[in-house]
Amino acid sequence: MRGFADYNPIAAAVYFLAVTGIAMFCMDPVILALSLAGALVTFALLCGQGGRAHWYTLGLFLVMALINPLVSHNGVTVLFVMNHNPVTLEALLYGVAAAAMVVAVLYWFRCFSCIMTSDKLLYIFGGLSPRLALILSMTLRYVPLFGQQAKKVKQAQTALGLYKEDNLIDSFRGGMRVFSVMVTWALENGIITADSMTARGYGLGKRSRFRLFRWRAGDVLLLTGSLLLAGLALMGVHARAFTWYPAIAAAPMDALAIAGYGAYGVLTLLPAIIHAKEAIKWHCLISSM
Amino acid sequence: MALLDIQHVSFTYPGQTRPALQDVCFSVHAGEMLAVCGATGSGKSTLLRLLKRELAPLGEKTGRILMNGVPQEDVPEAEAAYQVGYVMQRPEQQIVTDKVWHELAFGLENMALPQPVIARRVAEMAAYFGMEDWYDKPVSSLSGGQKQLLNLAAVMVMQPSLLILDEPTAQLDPIAAAEFIATVRKLNQDTGLTVIITEHRLEEVIPLCDRLLVLEQGRVLACDEPRQVIAKLHDRPELLCAMPAAARLYHALGADGVCPLSVREGRMLVENCRGRGRGLPEEECTPGTPALECKEVFFRYDRHGPDVLQGLNLTVHEGEICCVLGGNGSGKTTMLTVAAGLNKPCGGAVKVFGKKIKDYKNQSLYRECLTLLPQDVQTVFLCNTVEEELADAQAGVDMLPFDLRPLMHQHPYDLSGGEQQLVALAKVLATKPRLLLLDEPTKGVDAAAKGKLIGILKELKARGLTIVIVTHDVEFAALCADRCAMFFRGSVVSTGAPRTFFSQNSFYTTAVSRMTRGWFRNAVTVEDAAALCRQGGAE
Amino acid sequence: MIVIKNSRVRQMLRWVIPLLAIPALVALGAAVLPEKQHLLVSLGVAVLAVVLFLTGFEQKKTGARRMVIVSVMVALCIVGRMIPLFKPVTALTIIIAMYLGGEAGFLTGALAAVLSNFYFGQGPWTPFQMLAWGLIGLMAGYLAPLLKKSRALLLIFGVLAGAAYSMVMDVWTVLWYDGGFNPALYLTAVAAALPHTAVYALSNFAFLWFLARPFGEKLERVRVKYGV
Repeated sequence: MRGFADYNPIAAAVYFLAVTGIAMFCMDPVILALSLAGALVTFALLCGQGGRAHWYTLGLFLVMALINPLVSHNGVTVLFVMNHNPVTLEALLYGVAAAAMVVAVLYWFRCFSCIMTSDKLLYIFGGLSPRLALILSMTLRYVPLFGQQAKKVKQAQTALGLYKEDNLIDSFRGGMRVFSVMVTWALENGIITADSMTARGYGLGKRSRFRLFRWRAGDVLLLTGSLLLAGLALMGVHARAFTWYPAIAAAPMDALAIAGYGAYGVLTLLPAIIHAKEAIKWHCLISSM
Repeated sequence: MALLDIQHVSFTYPGQTRPALQDVCFSVHAGEMLAVCGATGSGKSTLLRLLKRELAPLGEKTGRILMNGVPQEDVPEAEAAYQVGYVMQRPEQQIVTDKVWHELAFGLENMALPQPVIARRVAEMAAYFGMEDWYDKPVSSLSGGQKQLLNLAAVMVMQPSLLILDEPTAQLDPIAAAEFIATVRKLNQDTGLTVIITEHRLEEVIPLCDRLLVLEQGRVLACDEPRQVIAKLHDRPELLCAMPAAARLYHALGADGVCPLSVREGRMLVENCRGRGRGLPEEECTPGTPALECKEVFFRYDRHGPDVLQGLNLTVHEGEICCVLGGNGSGKTTMLTVAAGLNKPCGGAVKVFGKKIKDYKNQSLYRECLTLLPQDVQTVFLCNTVEEELADAQAGVDMLPFDLRPLMHQHPYDLSGGEQQLVALAKVLATKPRLLLLDEPTKGVDAAAKGKLIGILKELKARGLTIVIVTHDVEFAALCADRCAMFFRGSVVSTGAPRTFFSQNSFYTTAVSRMTRGWFRNAVTVEDAAALCRQGGAE
Repeated sequence: MIVIKNSRVRQMLRWVIPLLAIPALVALGAAVLPEKQHLLVSLGVAVLAVVLFLTGFEQKKTGARRMVIVSVMVALCIVGRMIPLFKPVTALTIIIAMYLGGEAGFLTGALAAVLSNFYFGQGPWTPFQMLAWGLIGLMAGYLAPLLKKSRALLLIFGVLAGAAYSMVMDVWTVLWYDGGFNPALYLTAVAAALPHTAVYALSNFAFLWFLARPFGEKLERVRVKYGV
């Protein structure tokens, strides 16, 4: 069973880049609607329940949709006048579209974060710069370690009576104290880490890279598929030439535009399609056994 | 030809007049397991670091170190790095990367090996060490013992011919330590790997090693088969205190013949003593005013997590030293944090000097009342010198039952484990506590410093402090406690005065208790056993 | 990547790229492309600049201890960001740049941004954050001798850096929302973010006030004792 999360990280990253990039740079209502719907489906598939995060995004959507007509007075269709400033239909709709774009992009990034484990991140960065990848890996190792240590330091310092009173200034000073202890601890003990690196021959010369992922036929397919679909979508958007100001206008829906929208729709649903394909395959395997 | 030949090596640190090592000569043969011991400051770590060229300290070195007959300086860089593996004390700090698989691959990446070779070697190592289950895990999810095994595996994957271990088990609990030492032994037996090891706790190592090298103030005192070396140590109590209990008993009795090393051999020594069935009187704990009371305390970290404390009942009386013993993850440390008011119990009540913890307002609990010294004493240090450190806590040096004056101008992190413990204790005592809670005070502390610590704790008790100690160290508990409590799965299952307590346990007890079982009653320390044996006299 | 051998040219490029090339590119992009594509230009430039710096880092020989110190600093930034009301990234970036040079500062700032966003939410703003924090580090590195000498200057720099960071990020917010730069929107965004900016500048001030000196001493000790 090879879900979307198991694909080669570079292929997955290119996919996200394509799907998010088009949503960000093409202010086309159809694209945005497809993107938002696709992002929500993918989010549910890859990350499961979102919980409170959904409410936060909804709030963000409303605020952003309402701000634009209040500050931007472009557009020709005046709805009403507020404080001597016209509020236009175009600005209102543009606000909704921009808010949809921001929210869709947010969801795409959340999906990205859900499947990008540190191993995958390292794989991608390692291609760019192996040394940077090493620093990244070291940092990721330190973050949970420091988090645990900070808790211990806080308890130790509290038990030493160094938080004094229960008030805000003292707790800020206490925070500074904890941080300061952490700095000494981290730097001094970091020397041990450095010794351990040197002892294992770090810095002798060029390093090689142990890669946990490889390229399979499916990865290449995902990569080329993403790029082709994105290219087709861009051509469609270009043909449609949607504009918001001064008045909402677009070229008529021709075959290219329809093909472009279709391509983008497929692109946003690729993870879901992969998921469905695997589920069917698995089902057939089980029933044939 | 010897794998390693050390010829007249002397070493002086910059700015110091006294050399750290003086005219050290010895050789190590391939496949040998050599233990190095000596008091803190005897030059053990300096010696080991000189053997690993990349980690050699700066300073003035004379003499020659030959590896396979080649002077150390002439060995090619890469070979020097990969042929000698080095594992240090702190398991946390030696790990470089965030995932187990990456840590295993790290050294091989430095060797610039191609992908298939790395994949094969990593797989091989993971299988040998039984790491398949944690291969994908982040290293932060491993236990201390697993981390140290990972450090060992990450070195072994580079296929070194010499493995140097600098106090590798000092930070581990006894079970993890035994597992680590057993793994090293297995490597030595299975592959003929040469091992040089230093340890605080020689109990486990000495019976396994082929030779024992004793350093004293930078000079080689002896380097021979362990029994021979230990038999000659009778006039050196500061070195003897780190040796196995059987050997200490042998010296305490002034016995002759072959020096016993393990509990099994120790039993034979005791068997030859007359006066079987003799015993020491049982001890009773005299109840006093309670200083700390835990009644039916429940605690969990997460709402849906498991109970860490399950109906804990424990009463500690004023003016006593109470040692709480128990395995890893039994909740001992959590108990201390709850007792110190750092974690709020989910149920039950904790009273300190008869007053509920929540009635101590405005952190008054931590002023002249109660204090906790955590396991990791480095969490206490903030400043650049010991002097500033004490000034920060407004601690007076003169009031302390120990002398910190020689350390005043050093950086806290430059001190040895035992010294760090004392400085941290001084800081903690500055709040003038009446109840002192200590978490694993013997971790990373050598035998001599441990002896000193016991004296200090007894002195503090004499001054009227109540002390609760959480520890794995049964020998330590037997020597300093007035009362011991066995902790298991979140609650105390038995308590008693140490003599009674340890005599009733069969496994979780001191080496002497195991050695004298069935012959003497209630003997738990070397002194107990020696006294009983002397009463009977040797046959 | 091409390695530039001549150290003087390399030195010059280090100055020229952040101070001239990036603004020039932005201006060019603004002039040539239609207004609504400013977002594309700025994002492209940010990504390019960050990549350029990071690959530059790859070319240098970096010892294990330096590697460790940089990753320790980045991890401290991330852990610090998790404490409420505690925003140490800018201050820490400045401090490390003062003692270990501008490049280490850039690296710390940029990496702290990208990695901490894995905990706080990744988004298209990440490259901007990387660039903004990175440049603060770079500047602090150039100004290091001055900042080390005068505490007042350091504090002023910290407050300005904090405010500038916040305002640059507001530019980004507007660009993202609107595609082009809309001054009215920008003013709204700046006004809305004002309390946030103030807290930010203030926390930088407090951080540098309390921590710059002890932090410096600690770094200096490690540097002297272990020769980083």
